[in-house]
Amino acid sequence: MARTDYQSSLEELRDDILYMSEVVAERLRTGLDALERKDERLAREVIDGDDEINEMYLKLEGDCVDLIALQQPVASDLRFIAASFKIITDLERIGDLAVNLGGYTLDAERDLFPDVDMQRIGRTTLDMLEDAMDAYANEDVEACYAVADRDDEVDAMCEAASELVVRDLIESDRLADDLDDDEEMESLMQDVSRLLLTIRDLERVGDHAVNIAARTLYMAENDDELLY
Amino acid sequence: MTDNSEQEYTASTDDPTADEMSIETDVSTSVSSSDSTQHANTVVSAENVSVWYNDEQALQDITLDIPENQVTAMIGPSGCGKSTFLRCINRMNDLIDAAHVEGDLHLRGKNVYDDDVDPVALRRRVGMVFQSPNPFPKSIYDNVAYGLEIQDKEGDYDEIVEQSLKRAALWDEVKDQLDQSGLELSGGQQQRLCIARAIAPDPEVILMDEPASALDPVATSQIEDLISELAEEYTVVIVTHNMQQAARISNKTAVFLTGGELVEFDDTEKIFENPESQRVEDYITGKFG
Repeated sequence: MARTDYQSSLEELRDDILYMSEVVAERLRTGLDALERKDERLAREVIDGDDEINEMYLKLEGDCVDLIALQQPVASDLRFIAASFKIITDLERIGDLAVNLGGYTLDAERDLFPDVDMQRIGRTTLDMLEDAMDAYANEDVEACYAVADRDDEVDAMCEAASELVVRDLIESDRLADDLDDDEEMESLMQDVSRLLLTIRDLERVGDHAVNIAARTLYMAENDDELLY
Repeated sequence: MTDNSEQEYTASTDDPTADEMSIETDVSTSVSSSDSTQHANTVVSAENVSVWYNDEQALQDITLDIPENQVTAMIGPSGCGKSTFLRCINRMNDLIDAAHVEGDLHLRGKNVYDDDVDPVALRRRVGMVFQSPNPFPKSIYDNVAYGLEIQDKEGDYDEIVEQSLKRAALWDEVKDQLDQSGLELSGGQQQRLCIARAIAPDPEVILMDEPASALDPVATSQIEDLISELAEEYTVVIVTHNMQQAARISNKTAVFLTGGELVEFDDTEKIFENPESQRVEDYITGKFG
């Protein structure tokens, strides 16, 4: 095989991105654990680890630019680098959303709406991320479509959860109890906002997983069907 | 089938002016309406063109249509036959005794290998620029006017020389030194002078055989810009070893691979982003070759 150094660089880029995805998935898992257990140590672990993900992102971005500038990739190599360049952005954003989970854990002052199954939503998006990266590693076209199909499931769960929060808030007597106490009221509203933001963030993790699947489909088949 | 014997070439050059008249007449009258439809927007059409050098086959059944006013690039590893194909278009292979061509190669519907086609007249309609700049040891003016003089072309030579040098993006650099020898120009300027010489007779097609491979990056950029501009008025066919150059400047790309086989011919974007053939994919990504 000709251009062996170049081919090795491509393999190295693929391996590094898969490693970054493992770190990001682990951070998301830890963020969900922190949220579930209200564990401050885990929450800080996720928050403090964000710099590492950002550094990985910048390094891989530089690697992609170097390959384009120095090797003039074409055809499947070009699609691989172009897709990878976009995928690392999605991974970095998922890392940011995991950090948000840590922040919500630290800031929440009460246990609101225990019947909202945040963990189920979170674990589903985590599965989507891992499935999308498996599809990337194996250039598995069917798996790309499968990840995209699950997005509707996540959207429906998030919508249902948001509705539940708002309905419960309106129907319960919590508001009436707290109405006389401004400080209490403000704190309640902040917690409700945080809960709704958490739901939105998890939905976005699902969106980023779909982006990864869409870029992988383009990479493997030159098919932009999932890019929208 | 056409046998490019030296005898045929020599005979056909006896009266180039008369032969030129014949090819002009043939092109305007002999093309059937179905051919015209088939070749709409096609200037050069190859059908099952094969070439041998003695017993060694250099091209295998090449069939492709070269579109008008576009840049068509021919790429492939050394010995794949891309330059051989280029030289078929204006019958430069006639100059090689061992060369033997089969198949049809139409220029605007007229087979250039028909017996009544004069290769010299053909080459006025299909100009050529070579790898190394090869100006004549004459003045800049005479280099451009030479092609006009040998065919007794009428017209205002001063005007044609100026327009040719302008089209070749060289006029501003040499307009005050037209009497200077063409050999005193830089390599990039010499190549643009050769391009001016090629376009002075107002050809329909310009063939370029690695026209920038002997030039530095700045001169190469100038030639590449020029090729894109030339395609507005001419049909350009370029052979290049530089795949990035083909990607930058061509509209269509033909990929020849070892054995003289045309493996894929398509829009340049398609070839360099998502080729159909795995062999082409492997070649352009450098996995072999």
